[in-house]
Amino acid sequence: MSAPRRAILLAGLGALAAGAASGAASAVEVAPGLFVLPGLHEEASADNLDAIGNVGFVVGREAVAVVDPGGSLAHGQHLRRAIAAATPLPIRHIVLTHVHPDHVMGGAAFADCGAEVIGHARLPEALAQRHEFYGAMLAREMGAAAAGSAALAPTRLVAPGQDEMLELGGRALRLTAHPPAHTDHDLSLFDAATGTLWLSDLLFVERIPSLDGSLPGWRRVLEGLARWPGVMRAVPGHGPPAVDWPAAAAPLARYLDALERETRAAIATGIGLAEAPARVATAEAAGWRLAEAYHGRNVTAAYRELEWE
Amino acid sequence: MPHRPSLPRRPVLLGAGLAATGFRPVLAQGIESAEAPRRTERWRDLREAIFGSRRAEPAGEALILTAPARALDAAAVPIAIALSAEAAPAVRAVTLVIDENPAPVAARFEAGPGGDLRTLSTRVRVDAYTFLHAVAETADGRLLETAQFIKAAGGCSAPLGGTLEAARQRLGRMRLVLPEGPPGPGRAVPVQVAVSHPNTSGMQIDQLTRLSIPAEFLRALRISYRGAEVMRIETDISIAENPTFGFALQGEPGGELRVEALDNRDRRFEAAWMLVPAG
Ligand SMILES: [Zn+2]
Repeated sequence: MSAPRRAILLAGLGALAAGAASGAASAVEVAPGLFVLPGLHEEASADNLDAIGNVGFVVGREAVAVVDPGGSLAHGQHLRRAIAAATPLPIRHIVLTHVHPDHVMGGAAFADCGAEVIGHARLPEALAQRHEFYGAMLAREMGAAAAGSAALAPTRLVAPGQDEMLELGGRALRLTAHPPAHTDHDLSLFDAATGTLWLSDLLFVERIPSLDGSLPGWRRVLEGLARWPGVMRAVPGHGPPAVDWPAAAAPLARYLDALERETRAAIATGIGLAEAPARVATAEAAGWRLAEAYHGRNVTAAYRELEWE
Repeated sequence: MPHRPSLPRRPVLLGAGLAATGFRPVLAQGIESAEAPRRTERWRDLREAIFGSRRAEPAGEALILTAPARALDAAAVPIAIALSAEAAPAVRAVTLVIDENPAPVAARFEAGPGGDLRTLSTRVRVDAYTFLHAVAETADGRLLETAQFIKAAGGCSAPLGGTLEAARQRLGRMRLVLPEGPPGPGRAVPVQVAVSHPNTSGMQIDQLTRLSIPAEFLRALRISYRGAEVMRIETDISIAENPTFGFALQGEPGGELRVEALDNRDRRFEAAWMLVPAG
C-alpha cells in the first residue's frame, strides 16, 4: 500500500510546486468585501498558468459573485481556494467580463457550483466563434497544464442600454453592457457600496491594451465612464488590483488617441497594412509592457476598422 | 424579454473542453521538423494538381515572396510578391498558394497587354501554420517557384471585422489608393484597389443563427487603364475580407482606371477613376 500513498503525496507536492512556480498571487481586498487576484504582465505559459489578467470576487451578506473565473482550470482553482479562504458564503454568480481566454478559461473550476453565469448579450456568439480556437491556443502555450480548461456558457445576458442589478445581500452590483470597445461585448460592474468600478479590460494599466472591438468606440466608452459619479477607484483587467479613477485611464486614452490619429494619417497617405505597424503610434507604444507583442496587432485592427469608414 | 434567448439555468461547460479533445502540445518554435516531410509532400501534390506535370525551378532572385514570419492578424495577412526587372517582362502569370488552407489557391494574377506583374500585393486568410508558395509562369511555359513559412492560425474562421449587415451595405464599394499619384511617362506607380465585400469563407459562424455563414466571395477582378487590360485576378475564399490588391501601373496620366469584379453569386461590381495629376 505504500506505492499509492507515495503517488498521492507526490501529486500533492506537485500541486504545491506548480503554485509556487506560477508565483500564485494572493487575493487583495481593494475595498471591503471586494477582492482582486492580480495577474502577471506576461504571455500565457505553463509557468504562469495563464494567470495574466486581474480576476476576483465580491462578497455580500448572502452570496459571492466571481468576476472572471481565471485563465485556466488551475488558475480558476486557485481563485476558488482564495474565495473559500475569505468567506464560507456560496458562489451564486459568475460574471464573464468578455470572451478573452485569460478571463474565461478557468470557468471549468466553477462548473459544479450551480451559479448563474452572466455575460453581455453578444458574449454567446463570441464564445461560439472562439472557444475552440482558444482551447487549442492554450494547449499550444501551456502544454499539459492547459488540460481541463474551458469556459462556462452564459445563463443570463445583459443587453446594452439595459443595466441590471446583481443582488448579493446588502450589496448590489450594477452590470453594464457596453457598445463595442475593447471587444464587442464588454461588461462592467459598479459596486455603489464602495464606489468601485470593475472595468476589467476596458481599462489597461502598465500592460499595453489590446484592441479587439472598436477603436473610436472604446474612446467613447472611456469618456462616458470618466463622468460616472461616485467612483472612488477602478479595477483594471491588467495592472494594479485597484487604481484611481478616472486619473488612471489617462495613459490608455493617450495611447488610443495616438493610435486612431496616426492610423488615419497612414491610411490617408497610402501607407499599406504591411508597413503601418512599424510606423503608427510607435512613440506612444514604447512605454507599455508587452508592446512588442501587441502594438502591431492593434495597428492592424485599427487600420482594418478605419479604412472603410 | 426579447434580448434573452432561452438558456440553460446551470453552468454548462462549453464544448468538450481540452481534456476530452485529446489535445497534443504543438511545437511552436520554428518549422516543426516532424512535419517537414508531410509539408514537402503536400506541396508536391498541390503543385501537380494546379500546374500538372510541368517541372518547377527555384526562382532565386527572380521572384521574392514577402510575408510576416508571424501574422499580426491571421484573417488579413499582407503578402507582397515581387519579380526582378529581368524576369518581369517574361512572366505572364503569378499564382499564390497557401498550402494548408482549405482552398489553397488564394489568387492567380495574369498580366494583360497593358500591364506587368513586377510588384503585387494582397491580404490573405491563413488557417494554420503553413508554407506560402508563389509560382511565376513565363510566356515560354517555365515555372519559377519560391516559398515562405508563416505562423498564423484561425484566419479562415475568424469572425468578420464588423457586422455582416454593415458589410452588405457597403457591398461592392471600391477604394483606390495612389500613394505616389498617377503614372507619368516612363514612370510606373504603385496602385492599390480594394472592393468592399465580406469575402466569407464558409467557415465563419453567423452571430444570430450560430450556423455557418455561406461562402460569398469574389471570383475575378479585371483591371484596365486607358482601355487596355492591365491584369486579371482570379480569387477565392483565402483572400481576406474586403479584397485588396496592389500592383504597379505605367502609362500616360489622365486616363481612366477601371475595375470590374465578379463574385460567386454572379454579382458584378464596377468602379472607374480618372487619374489626373494633382495641382
Ligand atoms: Zn481582454
